Amino acid sequence: MQTEIPLPVPSGMSAGPALRPVRAAEGRTLATWFRDHRGRGALEVTILFCLLQLGCIIYWAMDPKKFAYLSAANLSVMSQSIPWLGLLAIGAGVLMIAGEFDLSVAMNMGMCELVFIRWYGSGHSAWLCAALSIGLGVFIASINALIVNWSHIPSFIATLGMASFWWGMQNKYVGSGGPAPRIDDAKVSSQLKTVISAQLGLGIRGQMLWLLGVAAVVWVFMHRHKLGNHIFAVGGNEHAAKAISISPTRVKWMAFAILGALAGLAAVLQGVQQRTLIPGSTAGYELEAIAGAVIGGCSLRGGKGSVFGMILGVAFVKTFQAIVLLSSLPAYYLKVFIGLMTVFFVIINQYFEGKAE
Amino acid sequence: MSTPLLELRNMTKLFGKNAAVRDVSISIGQSEIVGLLGDNGAGKSTLVRMISGVTKPTEGEWLWNGAPITHLSRSVTEGLGVETIFQDSALVDQMTITRNIFMGREMTNWLGLMQIKKMDAISSEILDSVVTIEGIRSPRQLVGSLSGGQKQAVAIARAVHFKRTLLVLDEPTSALAVRATEALLAYLGQLKAEGVSSVLVTHNLHHAFKVCDRHIVMNHGEVILDVRREDTTVEQLTAGVVGGRTALAEYAAPHQA
Repeated sequence: MQTEIPLPVPSGMSAGPALRPVRAAEGRTLATWFRDHRGRGALEVTILFCLLQLGCIIYWAMDPKKFAYLSAANLSVMSQSIPWLGLLAIGAGVLMIAGEFDLSVAMNMGMCELVFIRWYGSGHSAWLCAALSIGLGVFIASINALIVNWSHIPSFIATLGMASFWWGMQNKYVGSGGPAPRIDDAKVSSQLKTVISAQLGLGIRGQMLWLLGVAAVVWVFMHRHKLGNHIFAVGGNEHAAKAISISPTRVKWMAFAILGALAGLAAVLQGVQQRTLIPGSTAGYELEAIAGAVIGGCSLRGGKGSVFGMILGVAFVKTFQAIVLLSSLPAYYLKVFIGLMTVFFVIINQYFEGKAE
Repeated sequence: MSTPLLELRNMTKLFGKNAAVRDVSISIGQSEIVGLLGDNGAGKSTLVRMISGVTKPTEGEWLWNGAPITHLSRSVTEGLGVETIFQDSALVDQMTITRNIFMGREMTNWLGLMQIKKMDAISSEILDSVVTIEGIRSPRQLVGSLSGGQKQAVAIARAVHFKRTLLVLDEPTSALAVRATEALLAYLGQLKAEGVSSVLVTHNLHHAFKVCDRHIVMNHGEVILDVRREDTTVEQLTAGVVGGRTALAEYAAPHQA
């Protein structure tokens, strides 16, 4: 496809002041690195995240009894609550980069989790149940992709409808009024517990490794693989991508499918941890996931975001949750904080986006 | 005469009941630069979109080297080697210059992972040598931070790097400075010598007259003039673009006498 061509210096170009060549203008200094990263999603949230962590650690060092931030108990809670939401946020973020939303992701995850819990509880192998959960997640998300690609209605409204649909289907699956499915603790094999949530020391749990592993794979895919590049292209300018014969239909389906797979995996992590789920109780996760992605620098208009930022965005939300819990503030403060933080980050991300070179 | 590279036969494009292009038949020869001229709304952009396969005609035939292509699409024309620079540049503002140039045609290893440094180096080289334009600092700059002319240069760099058989340029010089325009027009001549045909859509008749072997003038969706450079003048082309058929007839009258 790529034909190297000799690069001529057209006649009439020799006159006039010498132009500064692009390559010569580029030195790899800290300043150019900064200019190449400013406003692209991850840099600003990283700086603010570090400041927040620093503040929490200083507060903890001053009064470890009152604010037990680096205690094993808190690290255990955080390392179990960040991963599943982190997976959802990565999914939501990838989809936002493609220029779409999925408001049914929480109900998708709930459906997968119920299926996982019921099948694992009735004695099937963990591998089969996990594959089933992830496959179901991809299937449910693919239906959304089909609707959006076929009808061209905004994904926001299409998936809002599907969220309600899958909420209802969760109740149907459990049997209306029936007891929520449950796995007895004794029935969960110690092997599975180790794979999912091993103690890593300092109270940190194994779910974090799952999140970091998935994040690394998705990072490479989004920022280094050509298919990830196509997702950015379609989300940034669908018509431009089409003119270069990238198929927006295929790319959007791919982004939905990634979200679905991650929702299925999140369902497995949470299912092993909680061992039961009341139908519909995952409601609200979709907004937290989108908030995490937005805080992490994803643009609501598509085409911009970074996987690193998405994780920090979720870590941001969960750090505030820890602050509220540890300071014994009423729980509704968390909602207040998340709300303010989301608006604040949309504003600053938009500001820095304008500064991006 | 040899088989033309591209031939459009009786192309019509309707938008609702309105014909943007009506019963147009044109051909582009091998190693030929054709100027497509006309006022705003003459149907040039629609015709360009049909040449590049982005828009499907309502009626008409599309032939490549004499062979009819029945299922026309952008991926088919891309496979044949048609490269287009659209008027609206078709770039992604949120992506870097390099990623825009190589969008959809990334250089990758066997795993599909992009060779970003290699692509950066090539981007720099094309931007430096073909479409010389000032103010671009690095191929890693976002296209959204560039000026209109710089964006145009990136679009041209992309088309030039992937040039194969037919280059279609829709108003490429509208945002370029004089010097960059000169360079681009000179480059079209060079490509011609290498066997690449071009279609140059432009408002600027002097640019067109300078480099094009043949001129096609459109008016209200129809071709009103299709003439070789040696058989016409800037005045005649101006008359056709500005005044349509009537003006052409008026122009012809004294010249025939």
